[in-house]
Amino acid sequence: MIPRQWILATAILLALATGMAIYVWQLRRHEAATPAPVAAEPHVSPPAPGPTENVTVWVAYDASGTLRDQTISVPMSSGRQQRAEELMRGLLGIYTTKTSPHPLQPGAEVRNVYLVDPGIAVIDLNSAFVDGQTSGVLAEELTVASLIQSLSSNVPGITKVKILVDGKERETLSGHADLSGFYDVFQVSDLAKQLTSQ
Amino acid sequence: MRWNNGAPLLAQLLATGLLAVTAGVLLFSQTPSEQPPANLPVAAPQAQTAPPTYLVMIDPAHGGSDAGAALNPAMPEKDVTLAFARRLRMELNSRQIQAGLVRDGDNTLSVDQRAGMVNSTQPALYISLHAASQGNGLVLYTAMLSAVGEDRGRFLDWQTAQSGSLVRSRWAEQQITASIQKMGFPLRSLVAALRPLNNLTVPAIAVEVAPTSGEVSQLASVDYQSMVCAALASAIVPIAPALRQRTAP
Repeated sequence: MIPRQWILATAILLALATGMAIYVWQLRRHEAATPAPVAAEPHVSPPAPGPTENVTVWVAYDASGTLRDQTISVPMSSGRQQRAEELMRGLLGIYTTKTSPHPLQPGAEVRNVYLVDPGIAVIDLNSAFVDGQTSGVLAEELTVASLIQSLSSNVPGITKVKILVDGKERETLSGHADLSGFYDVFQVSDLAKQLTSQ
Repeated sequence: MRWNNGAPLLAQLLATGLLAVTAGVLLFSQTPSEQPPANLPVAAPQAQTAPPTYLVMIDPAHGGSDAGAALNPAMPEKDVTLAFARRLRMELNSRQIQAGLVRDGDNTLSVDQRAGMVNSTQPALYISLHAASQGNGLVLYTAMLSAVGEDRGRFLDWQTAQSGSLVRSRWAEQQITASIQKMGFPLRSLVAALRPLNNLTVPAIAVEVAPTSGEVSQLASVDYQSMVCAALASAIVPIAPALRQRTAP
């Protein structure tokens, strides 16, 4: 004969386990039903017609493994935020051409650039950008140095840069360059000098 | 309450079953990719007096589920780095330099696990090996950090644990660079934000090997692997005494 207390305890445990299983199942079903994020539209708005200015950006060259400065024309901006976005758009314009020295696949974009005082910039790339990135220490380092050096040398006051992908933190760009922390602009500037001089 | 007669057996079975179901539900609700905490402090290395078991610890990057770069469809980076690492160990051993491998098979190891293994064995020099389809010859890297003094207390910040060893890392890199450049082999030296370099408490460099011919298949060539590894091993020989006695700057 099973004691009454054991029957009660067993029934309670059974009810709890069943309840938990149903709860977890509901959570999973809810998660599965949540629509995937729609392919993001370009976040950086198209260039507005108007006066332009010449800026210097640092362009990666895969063949030689170097950075080279290049002057490009971007729409003149009144604010730092807008200037940062125009710069990134101008730089990507070079990388997505057919004759790019550091090709990125079509659809590669900088979703947004956030300037957070004091001195922090956040560059948010889309997944097409990193999917098309050549994997390798030097190849990824060229991309990171090109983005950060171009941004920090044209938008004063930036001391640290964080790179996100689709708005989220990511361990590496494509298996090598560490994206888990902040890049120190002064250290990247030293790296850019090394990459420019070799 | 006592277990008695035949009925308790049924009660035991029921209770065990329920516990298993509950455990299963709890496990089922866990997210599968919980990472180890990355920002925990790491114990500072104790003052070294005895020579290390391994003078050089070689780490073939990637492995297991992390294939690394697809150098070509049939050549994942993880296989190339392992081949280079085994050959480098052989070249070092033949020069009476004790060398070990962080992985000697197709194992999945996180960068935190690699750093933990190396920090616990305290080799005199750590070399992380990578391979790339782009480039020409070798690129040597040290951590992209600011160097600080070695005496920073009992615990070090995990993300900048390398800072105290950076002067010795850069010294080793410069010596190896100078030796290999004398051999006429194409080589560059850079800094890189590349884990686990930042997390190591010993002198640490990374080496990325690229073909010199422009053909990726050269990376799989035994002749090329032997030439690169012999050059690296020969460059380490002159600095071995300083590394062994930990008297490098």
